[in-house]
Amino acid sequence: MNPAPTNSTVAAGLRNEVLVSDVTVSYNNGTVAVYDATFRLQAGSICALVGVNGSGKSTLFKTIMGFLKPAQGSVTIGGETIASAQRLNWVAYVPQSEEVDWSFPVSVWDVVMMGRYGYMSFLRIPGAADRRLVEASLRRVEMWDFRERQIGELSGGQKKRVFLARALAQQGRVILLDEPFTGVDVKTEAAIVELLRELRAAGNIMLVSTHNLGSVPEFCDQTVIINRTVLAAGPTVEVFTEQNLARAFGGVLRHFRFDESTIQKHDGRTVTVLTDDERPLVFGKDGHVEYSQRNGREEVVKQRAEQEDDE
Amino acid sequence: MMDALAVPFHYDYMLKAMWVSALIGSVCGCLSCFVTLKGWSLMGDALSHAVVPGVALAYLVGAPFAVGAFFAGLLAAVGMGFVKTKTSLREDAVIGIVFTTFFAAGLLLISLFPSSVSLKSIVFGNLLGISDADVSQVVLIALGSLLVLGLRWRDLVLFCFDPNQARALGLNVRLLNFTLLTLLSVTAVAALQAVGACLVVAMLVTPGATAYLLTDRFGRMLGLAAGMGAGTSFIGAYASYFLDGSTGGCIVLLQTLVFLLALVWAPKHGLLASRSKRLQALKAALGRPA
Repeated sequence: MNPAPTNSTVAAGLRNEVLVSDVTVSYNNGTVAVYDATFRLQAGSICALVGVNGSGKSTLFKTIMGFLKPAQGSVTIGGETIASAQRLNWVAYVPQSEEVDWSFPVSVWDVVMMGRYGYMSFLRIPGAADRRLVEASLRRVEMWDFRERQIGELSGGQKKRVFLARALAQQGRVILLDEPFTGVDVKTEAAIVELLRELRAAGNIMLVSTHNLGSVPEFCDQTVIINRTVLAAGPTVEVFTEQNLARAFGGVLRHFRFDESTIQKHDGRTVTVLTDDERPLVFGKDGHVEYSQRNGREEVVKQRAEQEDDE
Repeated sequence: MMDALAVPFHYDYMLKAMWVSALIGSVCGCLSCFVTLKGWSLMGDALSHAVVPGVALAYLVGAPFAVGAFFAGLLAAVGMGFVKTKTSLREDAVIGIVFTTFFAAGLLLISLFPSSVSLKSIVFGNLLGISDADVSQVVLIALGSLLVLGLRWRDLVLFCFDPNQARALGLNVRLLNFTLLTLLSVTAVAALQAVGACLVVAMLVTPGATAYLLTDRFGRMLGLAAGMGAGTSFIGAYASYFLDGSTGGCIVLLQTLVFLLALVWAPKHGLLASRSKRLQALKAALGRPA
C-alpha cells in the first residue's frame, strides 16, 4: 500500500492511551449492562474486544465512543475526557456494515470527506488540506479509482476500505472497528490487517470488536475478554487461553475435541477447535466428514477403521 | 390563445398564489430530501397534523400562526419521545396516537370558535385567499429555513447518513435532530397554507423521493427536489385557475405525475433501466453479446 498521510497528532501524542477505569453502565430500564470494567491500552496496540452477544461488548464500545455515559467510573483518552477527545478528532469509528444505509446518495469521496468535518469551519467547506488528506487516504486503501462511485455499488471488501479511509482521513489516535471482517474477502482481510499493523507502528490504538475468534491471535497483540465485566485483559498470548474463553463463552462456544470426535489415530495430543459462530466443518485424512461426537456413530467409526485396515 | 393563457398573470391574487406556492414548494422540496433519507415520512405527516391546534390557538389570540405551529409541533415531538421511552410500543403506533390527538384537539378548537379561522382553509389550504400578513409569515419561514439549510445542510446530511460518526466527531446530534424537527414543523405550517394539512406530507416527501430516483449525489438531489417542488407548485397553482379546482389537489397530483415519469424513465433507478439491465445480464449469461 502507499505511504501514510503524515500524522503529526499521533507523533506528538506520546501519552496516547485509552484508560477505562471502574466503568459501570446501566440503561434507563435499570439493567446494568457492564460493571466495574477496568483496562488500559497503550500507544501502538491492536486490541480485540471479545465476548458473547449480550456480554456488554457493544455497550463498552459505545461508552468508549462517548455515546453512553457511564453511571460510575470514567473513560479517558490521552488524559482527556471522551467529549474533549472527540472535539480533538481523536476518536475514529469504522461501523459495522449492517449499520450503514448503502442506498444513501453519497459517493466514496463524500464519505471519506466526512472524516474531515471536525477540522472544518462552521460551513464545512473542505480546504486544500482536507482534499489532500482524503486523496491520500483513498490511495492508501487503494480506493482512489472508485472515488466517484455511489457507495452501494461496491463489494463488501471495498465498502469496508472506504470507511477505513474515512478513519485515516480523520487522523484519529484511537480507531474503533466493529466487526471489521464480516462480509470481507480473504484478500481484503489481509490488506486491512496490514494497514492496522502500520497504524500500530505509528502509535495508534485500534480496538476491534469481533466474533471472529480465530483471527484474534493472528493480529491482535492485546485482548480484553468481557462478560458483563472484564474477565481478563492484557497481552493476547497470556489472555487468550481456553480457560478464559470457556469462562467468557460458557456453553455458547462450539467445541470440537479431537479425542471425542470420529477422527481416529490422532497422535494423542489433544487439540480443541473453538468457534463462536458456526460449528466447524472438519474433514479427516481421507477427505470424509468427521463428527464431533463418537457416541452414537459407532458404525461410522467401525466402518472407517475397517477401510483403513484393508489398505 | 396566448392572451387566454396569460390571464392568471393579470390577477394580483393569482400572481401572489403562484409565487408564494413556488417558494413553499422549493423549501418543502429541500426538506423532503432529508425526510425521505431519514425515513421520516410518517413523522412529516404527523407534524403537519400536529401543528393544527397551534395554528388555531394562534389565530384565536391573534399571535402569528407560525409561533403557534412551532410550539404545537415541538410539544407533539416531545410527547412522542416521552411515550416512546416510557413504553415498548412501536414508533409508528406512538406517532399515530400523538398526531391524531393533536389534530382532534385542533378540529375541536376550530369548531368551538368558528369565526376566527375556517376549518376548510386549514384542512384543504386557501392559497387564493391568503392574507398579506400570512404571506409575510410564509416568506419569513421560507427564507429562514433556506438560510438554516444553506448553512447546516452538510451537518444534517451527516446526521441522516451516519449519526454515530456525527457523534464521534463531537457534533451536537441532539441539536441537529431538533433543527430538523423544527424546520419540519415550521415548513409544514407554511405548506399548510398552500395545500392544507391533509396534503402537506406529499410536499414533504414526493419531490425528495423523485429526486432520489434521478441521482446518486445528495447535492444534486437537493437541487432537483427544490426545483421540482417550486415548478410543480407554480404550475399547479396556475392550472388551478383554469380548472377552477383545488390548488392543493393540482400541485400534489402534478408532483405525483413527475414522480411516475421518474419511476419509469429514470436513467439508473427507473423501471425501464432496471429491465434493460436485467436483459443485458441475461444475455451476457447466455454468452451472447448484449
